[in-house]
Amino acid sequence: MKFRVERDVLADAVAWTARALPVRPSVPVLAGILLDANEDEGTQKLKLSSFDYEVSAQVSVDIDVEEPGTTLVSGRLLAEITRNLPPQTVEIDADGAKVVVSCGSAKFTLLTLPVEDYPTLPKMPQVTGSVGSDVFHAAVSQVAVAAGRDDTLPMLTGVRVEIEGDTLTLASTDRYRLAVRELTWTPENPGMSAVALVPAKTLADTAKSLTSGAEVSIALSDAESGEGMIGFEGGGRRTTTRLLDGEFPKYRTLLPDSFGSVAEVQKAEFMEAVKRVSLVAERNTPLRLSFSQGRLVLEAGTGDEAQAVEALDSELEGEDIQIAFNSAFLLDGLNAIDSDIARLQFTTSTKPAIITGKPADEESSSDYRYLIMPVRLSS
Amino acid sequence: MRLVIARCSVDYVGRLTAHLPLAPRLILMKADGSVSVHADDRAFKPLNWMNPPCTVRESEEDGTHLWTVTHGKSGEKLILRIEEFLHDSSHELGADPGLQKDGVEAHLQELLADHITTLGEGYTLIRREYPTAIGPVDILCRDAEGGTVAVELKRRGDIDGVEQLTRYLELLNRDPALKPVRGVFAAQEIKPQARVLAGDRDIDCVTLDYDELRGIEPDVPRLF
Repeated sequence: MKFRVERDVLADAVAWTARALPVRPSVPVLAGILLDANEDEGTQKLKLSSFDYEVSAQVSVDIDVEEPGTTLVSGRLLAEITRNLPPQTVEIDADGAKVVVSCGSAKFTLLTLPVEDYPTLPKMPQVTGSVGSDVFHAAVSQVAVAAGRDDTLPMLTGVRVEIEGDTLTLASTDRYRLAVRELTWTPENPGMSAVALVPAKTLADTAKSLTSGAEVSIALSDAESGEGMIGFEGGGRRTTTRLLDGEFPKYRTLLPDSFGSVAEVQKAEFMEAVKRVSLVAERNTPLRLSFSQGRLVLEAGTGDEAQAVEALDSELEGEDIQIAFNSAFLLDGLNAIDSDIARLQFTTSTKPAIITGKPADEESSSDYRYLIMPVRLSS
Repeated sequence: MRLVIARCSVDYVGRLTAHLPLAPRLILMKADGSVSVHADDRAFKPLNWMNPPCTVRESEEDGTHLWTVTHGKSGEKLILRIEEFLHDSSHELGADPGLQKDGVEAHLQELLADHITTLGEGYTLIRREYPTAIGPVDILCRDAEGGTVAVELKRRGDIDGVEQLTRYLELLNRDPALKPVRGVFAAQEIKPQARVLAGDRDIDCVTLDYDELRGIEPDVPRLF
């Protein structure tokens, strides 16, 4: 195998593929990136692949192939090397047990891993629909923030993806907060409906890394075809991940639909104030909020310790309310909304509150909702 | 166990010399012969001490009590000059039953057996402590499809636990009445290495919430 490729193109492709390399490979070949230089559909391409039995990643770039072939080399090492090469044309020449990477006056010789031992990457399921990559990235990051990180309830470490015609709904919860985002997409079949539970971390990484292309195609395997899998493709990059098992909580019933008070606060000011006041809130001690007409008072700390208080302007419709939150969860929610004005809707101080962005016009409802459970007001 | 609270100064004479100036301190003289001098901090760690075997010689010098603790082998000395006794009492503690670190593990086994569906819907218990030639398996149960499942329970899930379960599985899978037997490694916390090894051997990992199994309500309110 022998080919030439520009350093930036190669470094990007290798870095992206290396993300799916397992941290602790149970079989040595899994630590490798598979390089495949061949002619595919009339163009000469280099395909790079990695796989850890959960997540697979494959990227293809156009190159000049001098001699087609396939080789497997340590992914981490290749990523380190390509990242540090000078900005010139890279020549890769594989010959049996050795791969030579030359660029400018630098030359590296790497050992190869046995290609024949490398597992076959799972086939990409049939494309189910597509969505703009930036919209998808924004939506996924808004939702993934609320996913659980604790393996006690594995289904909570996932993002629930619901497809209903041209509406895509993403939801995740760690039992303290719940984030839901609805967006429109272009399904292959307008009448389709499907659900999947995708590992949140993988989904967040994937959505972020696919913003190089304009569109992301989503491919969901049929429920009947055995093992659940979801694939994403965009800008020459494709990745698949195994779906999570388990019943996702019936979250829609958790979302309240009537409220006693609705407050609106400038988001940036509010976040700054939360960060400042919560400096005195030790871990797990609450940040207390008092909403009254025209005014929001934030407080933290108790009589025995340091205390902080700050007042902000805010609009309030309905009853005055006092409520307390974990400040980190509150900040996550405020950070996720895509409006300059945060709208907080309350029923009572012991019931979950909803944070949304103030919609552009009063008629439309916000497509992102962040439900947050209050903590007890410590007296 | 003799507990003495006294204003004293302490000198250590041996491979190194150390001096503690006059101050009130707790002196513990244990049944094994050891002597340790504690300040009012540092939990279990004494300021200075002498390990057994050692002998204590009490004498008096210009009105101050002098205790000389001499190590039986090395001859190193801990010398306590006591100005004033504030407290002095002795108690017979007898033999200690020892620290039970596995109390939680036994309780987890009991709880998981009672709530066997934590592992999955339709699971049924065969028995706890299922005997094999190399020791009992923590829990043997059946999954929803009727397949046999061997469960190894740990507080902290380490590589050793996976190895242990692997040995049990190998043995259990020789029993035609039980096989095929699948393994589940259940722990409150599973180390990444153990997770990799378990995955490689097709053993499922389950993280257990002890409080949830015990039915203890969390301090922090939750959505559901």
